[in-house]
Amino acid sequence: MNIDRRQMLCGAGALAGLSLISARAMGSVRLAASPVFGGEVPRTLVLLQLSGGNDGLSMVVPYADDNYNRARRTTRIVEKDVLTLDNYRGFHPALTRLRAKYEAGQLALIEGVGYPNPIRSHFKSYEVWHTADPRGRSSGEGWIGKLVNAAWPESRDPNLVVHIGKNVPYSLYSLTHPPASFATPTGYKWAGDDTRRAALEKGGEVCEHGETEVEREPANNLEYLRKVLRDGQASSESIRRAAIRYRTKAEYDEDELAQALRDVAALSAGQIGSRIFSVELSGFDTHSDQKNRHDTLMRRLDASLSTFLDDIAGTEAGKNTLVVAFSEFGRRVKENGSNGTDHGVAGPMFVAGEAVKGGLYGRHPELAKLDDGDLIHTTDFRSVFATLIQSWLGVDATRVLGTKYPLLPLLRA
Amino acid sequence: MRSIFQGLAPLFLFAAASSLAPSVAEAQGDASSSQARKQDTPAMAGNAWDARAIEHLLNRAGFGATSADIDAAMGVGREALLARLFQGSDAETKIFAISEPKRPTPEERRAMSEEQRKETYNRLRRDDNRQLLEYSAWWLDAMADDQHPLRERMVLFWHGFFTSSAREVKNGEAMIRQNQLFRTHALGSYADLLHAIVRDPAMLIYLNNTKNTRKAPNENLARELMELFSLGEGHYSEQDVKEAARALTGYTQIDAQFIFNRRQHDEGSKTVLGVTGALDADKLVDILLEQDACPRWVAGKLLEHFEGRVPPAERIEDYAKFLRKNDYRIDAFLKRLFDDPLFYGPDVVGQRIVGPIEFMVANCRRVGVIPPGNVIAAAATLLGQQVFGPPNVKGWDSGRAWITTSTFLQRGNLTGMLLGVTSMEDIFKEDPSLMMDLDDSGDGAMSGESKDDPMDPMEKPRAKPELGSGGRAMGAGLRQMESGRWRRTLDLRGRCRAAGATDDAAIVDRLAQDLLAVELSPEARVALVDYLRSEREALGIAEGKLLDKKAYGESELRQLAHLILSLPEAQLN
Repeated sequence: MNIDRRQMLCGAGALAGLSLISARAMGSVRLAASPVFGGEVPRTLVLLQLSGGNDGLSMVVPYADDNYNRARRTTRIVEKDVLTLDNYRGFHPALTRLRAKYEAGQLALIEGVGYPNPIRSHFKSYEVWHTADPRGRSSGEGWIGKLVNAAWPESRDPNLVVHIGKNVPYSLYSLTHPPASFATPTGYKWAGDDTRRAALEKGGEVCEHGETEVEREPANNLEYLRKVLRDGQASSESIRRAAIRYRTKAEYDEDELAQALRDVAALSAGQIGSRIFSVELSGFDTHSDQKNRHDTLMRRLDASLSTFLDDIAGTEAGKNTLVVAFSEFGRRVKENGSNGTDHGVAGPMFVAGEAVKGGLYGRHPELAKLDDGDLIHTTDFRSVFATLIQSWLGVDATRVLGTKYPLLPLLRA
Repeated sequence: MRSIFQGLAPLFLFAAASSLAPSVAEAQGDASSSQARKQDTPAMAGNAWDARAIEHLLNRAGFGATSADIDAAMGVGREALLARLFQGSDAETKIFAISEPKRPTPEERRAMSEEQRKETYNRLRRDDNRQLLEYSAWWLDAMADDQHPLRERMVLFWHGFFTSSAREVKNGEAMIRQNQLFRTHALGSYADLLHAIVRDPAMLIYLNNTKNTRKAPNENLARELMELFSLGEGHYSEQDVKEAARALTGYTQIDAQFIFNRRQHDEGSKTVLGVTGALDADKLVDILLEQDACPRWVAGKLLEHFEGRVPPAERIEDYAKFLRKNDYRIDAFLKRLFDDPLFYGPDVVGQRIVGPIEFMVANCRRVGVIPPGNVIAAAATLLGQQVFGPPNVKGWDSGRAWITTSTFLQRGNLTGMLLGVTSMEDIFKEDPSLMMDLDDSGDGAMSGESKDDPMDPMEKPRAKPELGSGGRAMGAGLRQMESGRWRRTLDLRGRCRAAGATDDAAIVDRLAQDLLAVELSPEARVALVDYLRSEREALGIAEGKLLDKKAYGESELRQLAHLILSLPEAQLN
């Protein structure tokens, strides 16, 4: 039905891949032709952004370090509460289920992650993370945008990159592959009857020489808008279908992050062509009252993410999904006078999933050797990204990051 | 609809008698003055500026020009029009009087039981929340009633520039006072505003300066003051942030009133951006205002907002110098901008993606029905712009960041609700066929569930649709939007008939002209004309006769208007 309508509009060839049906057909062609993806279910990556500057020292606590205990008079987590990993560090007390994942070898913790000449502005630092480039936005598209161009340049699948939540991170910004994005699949549609929907689709399309502008970068905002409208219309039904049909025994909380991860599980199971998912947990900017606020966030993180990992465990999606958690910066080692901490620099990242080779990676920054009160990073975040790009998705990481970064052995052979 | 431009008739006559007579006569003589104007490139050489230039100015300086506004402003001299824009309407009388909460005195407090105290403070909190909601509605009303659109637009600009969020501030009265501060200085001096913002109670709470003390400095306000409010990242050092934080110690508030706590203020010597002294907040702000980066930062933000593009560096430089020379006066800045041929250039006109509040207010005005402010606020919240709830201290990202696949579709849905052709149920009720029906491509690539295992729709239902943090108030706003008692005045049929638009193409052209800020693309026009023709033919009505009988037409026109406002073109101005 869709194809007929499109064919009438612009001619068959140019439009393959635009409708839901042909998008799926394209998907299988693409997979078969691509040497890096073996099985039926393609490998996917879930980006979990901890927004606001996660206090790494409260997530992975160096409880045995006197420097930590001295610097954190009111916000420290004492030894008896910590979920110890070894005789130096331990998880935040709320991370019980994630510690179990760690012990099961499904969580890789990378310590001391940051980048040279760190920026303590939330926004500028996120730009660096989101573009994997110290120039931030002025360097162009987000790193996922660059990845998509390198990995799946021919894809027209509107579900390829999916953000679930309110604010789309800049990492997903792409001129050629804007993400499908929604806070909840319920109501993710243009509500009008088929006749009107057909008229809107036709009205939003411009074909020149049998070629729609989806084939090239949008020259202006109008073309960009047409692309987003078309992607929205095309992704709306498949995403709602996957979400509504998904059944699970997992008990997800009524929590924004938990519900978003439930949608990730649903969309993965629905095999609607998604390769990159993005979700967010925000509220980490704990300048004051840190203990209460950070504890709550850790509880939410633990419950949401563990439920998700349990939900997909043992399925094809479980084997083929990797979650990477990151934050724009860590926080100052010495707490401020408001029972909180100010903007800092390096912090831990973690990667979770069945394909992960769990354990500790990187090196914990020395608390005795600070740079003007801040931790000195020991691993560049782009090493982690490069590993995900190259070892997980099979794409030459220098094509995305521009520079070669050492890969980490985060994955099982 | 009332508009500040409808009051221009006397000026219009005056202008007609003056040297402007020829261009006015032309404009008057051309009955289709606002017809097809969107194809034209604006002309504003000398005093003869055309409908396209006026439409562009009114769109960017206000909240969506209607055809009536443009026709009323046609032929009026540019200076008279600009003067009116900067002064607002004489008819403007609206004020919002804050009702001061009746807080118990310390004596009364002591006399209360624990229970009474709890009840009293809960009531105070409820009243405070309610007052902020009333104020939000009042503000949206003010944007929509168009008595002083440029001021309201600047208030919204400052709200996104000097951001505070009610979620963190948790004090509605302080949020209202901050908004009134923006209103006072909306078109005044940025320098005054910067001095005022470091003693604004909502800001002091939002950026933790109430916790910033001599013994334990908190850097939050100091950092954002430089990064987002004056200089931009890269124009100060980490040491400057630490020293500036000391200058701001002791600036705090009680009950939405600023106080300076001398005992908590660090009176020692500080060095910020090379200036050393016993700096306090005012001296700190003076240092910031002296930096070259400061007028550049402000000029860049203003240009980006009004032109809808990242301005070229030399243009920022030019306007930064002007801003500084004019004591940071915003009115002087905007007068110059609105007189600048580049502002009317092809890479500016019609190229800007409008934000949610602007989208909703402009569409209400152009459709010709203005729902109550709380309804418009609820709609804008759903689209990602909640007044008093910006996402973070940077405010809202603009331009393409407004548009995601879902906000685009929801923009269409909300205009459908505005027009009364879409219900909440249409949006949120799931199509049962999605649950039962397997995929129509027949490739069988389903989620691994077998076909003979039909889904029980009651099993583990998804979370209810998330309406955003506006919560209940927003749900109520949308239901009100759906009920639409204020929609009685909507008469698209009458409007088209009055304009003599009766055949399919003329109707499409008329509505597109009225509802869009940019020209409809030829392809979209064909699609819409085809659509209207097939609707008309389904009713068995001959071409040109759709609007003849009262029983027909209005509903078809509303559906058509919904389509127009769902198009990519409807997101631009």
